[in-house]
Amino acid sequence: MKKYSVLIVEDDAWLAEQQVRVLTKAGYKATISPHPIAAIKAIDTIHPDAIVLDVLLTGSTAFALLHELQSYGDTGSIPVILCTNLAGELSLDDLAPYGVRRILDKTTMLPDDVVAAVRSVL
Amino acid sequence: MSAKRGTHEQPYGGPLSDGLSSLVAAAHELKAPLALVRQLSLTLEAGELSPDEKQRMLRQISLTSERALRLTSDLTRSARLEDAMFALEPINPHQLCEDIVHELTPLFVAHGRNVRLMPRKHPLLLVANRDLLRRIIMNFSDNALHYANDDSVVEIQIRALNAGQIIRLGVRDYGPALSTDMWKTLQTKLVVAPQPVHARPQSSGLGLYIASQFADAMNGTIGVIRHHDGATFYVDLHASRQLSWL
Repeated sequence: MKKYSVLIVEDDAWLAEQQVRVLTKAGYKATISPHPIAAIKAIDTIHPDAIVLDVLLTGSTAFALLHELQSYGDTGSIPVILCTNLAGELSLDDLAPYGVRRILDKTTMLPDDVVAAVRSVL
Repeated sequence: MSAKRGTHEQPYGGPLSDGLSSLVAAAHELKAPLALVRQLSLTLEAGELSPDEKQRMLRQISLTSERALRLTSDLTRSARLEDAMFALEPINPHQLCEDIVHELTPLFVAHGRNVRLMPRKHPLLLVANRDLLRRIIMNFSDNALHYANDDSVVEIQIRALNAGQIIRLGVRDYGPALSTDMWKTLQTKLVVAPQPVHARPQSSGLGLYIASQFADAMNGTIGVIRHHDGATFYVDLHASRQLSWL
């Protein structure tokens, strides 16, 4: 069985560690990038099957990364799950053209919700 | 103030008087630590963790709670600034910063980073309120911790400027640089209207807004220097003349 790879773009190191913990336990290979610049490098290296992306990040926002992903055919098809404190201010309909398939609200989600979200987009 | 080659310096534009903005910013700033504490607590509740994992998560909960509490404590202090009398006294910034480094080291180590006070040959004295100055440096250090690269060192620097009349305490982090576009946006905001320093995109600027209020209460100013590999947030305060009398 293929072990799916998930890239977590999250600048809160301990929250990223928490997401790695639950995804690894669920059988995924999870990698952390703390900011969009590192994420772009990681995407070229690990070719993730899905990306879990925080919105407010160090260096630039998630939207810069979403634009970058959509600029290329191969990266544009990677499903993106936004995991953010700003979930209430975002619309999945508006973001779907940028590859966003799910939006998780950090303030209300359960630890395993990230696993369910990843599973649903693969 | 002179900007170093390859750096850009921007003083803080002034206090923000919009109470509602501050309230919204406070709520936003507290979301992140509360969300993390909740995630960790739920995971602990679920069990199936090794003793080491449990210990690590409990430590993360404690340290995250302490950071959030520092913010709420600063907010309370900030709201009472106008009513309170703050004694300004000659302070040895080196000693104060040493205490801060000692207090923050466990938090930095838990994040895989370090904090250190840059050595100085000659002692300096400045005029400040000890509690407010401590809060400013703690605030800058918390900010630097968040933006510093893994395994990097955050440096607390003490410098004399303007022929020794001004003492600058700076907190230097080594992390991603602000893009030119973001820096221009920041500069425009500061010129057009007094606003918090949105020096980093994910920050509401609340911590810096509070720090600016504290600095203002001590007749000081805060500012930020942009480097190609990070930033320095600083507070400028008047030097004490006590040493010159000796």
